[in-house]
Amino acid sequence: MTERRSITPYLFLIPALALVATFVLYPIAAVVYYSFTNYDIVTPPTWIGLGNYQHLLRDPTFWKALTNSVVYLVATPIVIGLSVLLAIVVNRQLRGIQIFRALYFVPAVSGSIAIGISWRWLFERNGMLNSALISLGILKEPVQWLTNPDFVLPIAIALTVWAGVGYYAVIFLAGLQNIPEELYDAAQIDGCNSIQKHWHVSLPGLRPQIVFVAVISSLAALKVFDEIYVLTNHTGGVLESGTTIVFYLWRQAFNLSHAGYASAIAIALLLVTLVFSIFLVRGLERGTAAA
Amino acid sequence: MTATATAIPGHGRVRLRRGLEVVFWYVLLIFLAVITVFPFVWMLLTSLKGPTDAIFSVPPQFLPGHPTLDNYKNVLDQLPVPTFFVNSITVGVAVTALNVLVAALAAYPLAKLKFFGREAIFYLLLGTIIVPAQLTYIPSFVLAVNVFHYYDSLPALILPNLASAFNIFLLRQAFRGVPNELIDAARMDGASELRIWWSVLLPIIRPSLAAVAIFTFVTSWNDFLWPSLMLHTRDHMTLPVGLVALQGFFASDFRSIAAGVTMTVVPILIFFLIFQRQFVRGLAGAVKG
Repeated sequence: MTERRSITPYLFLIPALALVATFVLYPIAAVVYYSFTNYDIVTPPTWIGLGNYQHLLRDPTFWKALTNSVVYLVATPIVIGLSVLLAIVVNRQLRGIQIFRALYFVPAVSGSIAIGISWRWLFERNGMLNSALISLGILKEPVQWLTNPDFVLPIAIALTVWAGVGYYAVIFLAGLQNIPEELYDAAQIDGCNSIQKHWHVSLPGLRPQIVFVAVISSLAALKVFDEIYVLTNHTGGVLESGTTIVFYLWRQAFNLSHAGYASAIAIALLLVTLVFSIFLVRGLERGTAAA
Repeated sequence: MTATATAIPGHGRVRLRRGLEVVFWYVLLIFLAVITVFPFVWMLLTSLKGPTDAIFSVPPQFLPGHPTLDNYKNVLDQLPVPTFFVNSITVGVAVTALNVLVAALAAYPLAKLKFFGREAIFYLLLGTIIVPAQLTYIPSFVLAVNVFHYYDSLPALILPNLASAFNIFLLRQAFRGVPNELIDAARMDGASELRIWWSVLLPIIRPSLAAVAIFTFVTSWNDFLWPSLMLHTRDHMTLPVGLVALQGFFASDFRSIAAGVTMTVVPILIFFLIFQRQFVRGLAGAVKG
């Protein structure tokens, strides 16, 4: 080992480490500091100790936002179930199957703002959904989907699921194609019908992919912002019905200039993400051990 | 898998069953395709509607009775959509090229060299994957205004997005797949580590580089929250930020909003069609170790 080689590894790492230090590590430290201060971004922060956290615990909107973000996690099992089914459907040799696979991927690349706007007009009072349901005789008069507190979050979750299914199905399709055909043959000999074959062979075979998708889709669900911003016209919805943690953080920091308070919300977001990740990493370890 | 592939040619009933099965799958595939593309087709059709075509009617009217491109003209007269487009391309290309370069540099020693602190650095980087980006936005905002002075300009979207722990992680996996003998042989020939990285390793992992680059580009292209915090002047906006501005500007003029949405979606769809193969390979390769 020469002298030269011993500093070379660090030279390769310097750009990445400098960037991570500036745009990830420093901001984390700064957010921790701001969370103990009264800060509006313009004037220098003043230390107030645990004030922001005490306020946080008594802030009903924060609890509503936290609840909504946790509820949003139901998107994960739904999106996994549907995208595994979609992968099974498209995993067959049919003429033109490539075209269908490409079509199902379209929402994933189109951008959350563009698809959010199209969904908003779908669910508007004067939107396509109301006119379709009225002409089918299911509704008598238009429903205010997006101003009804019961509907905002489910519609946002449905949007996330709809946009994600084709994307995750590609991951599951690759997983299915790696499962040896003999396993299906063996299951058939054991008397499994095609649904039982998928239950006993496909699902266990897809375990690494399921764990991977569970991790990335639930981290994404905890961070959801764009869909809420567009669907509620950046209000968070009637009675905060669509407000998520990141949405509330954004409003406090950049709408109300409560950057100190917003930093405490950011720390809460980090804690929720950490706790959740620990559960998921355990699952990941078990998942890869089984694979 | 389907029909157990034992259909004997000429055997009528088996053939009929197989035929019905194929019909069933196509009906299902088409039904799912309709659900997937409906909002896009509906946006396209609405953007072509003339002022006398109904937006809301019972039963709903899908096709424009008096098709026109006036809505597009209207949008382009009011908002600099071509400028949004150029800005999105500029940011996307700069972020992708530099991010992949930084990640490929960092991934090599983490995968192939032995040095003090390697594990610590790797786990530090890995840990940043779970940190939500939004957590960093308040300090990054302060940095943008007070330190880097790039508020309301495109470098504000480029610089903070140049290091991605996820990309470093994926490229490290790719480098680990390269046999050590290749690297040792190049060292015997007296090549420097930088030269080995550039001329031996990068060509081998090109498919991984392509996959990482494509995903970085699409993420940058669709990024909204941070750009919306940084960009205020219309001429500096990227497409998603401009689209929200457009929605505010045209308020209830759904025909023009639909034209704006169509104009932003079409370029990325073309990009996807061109690179579809790499998309699929990149996603499929993401779960391997």
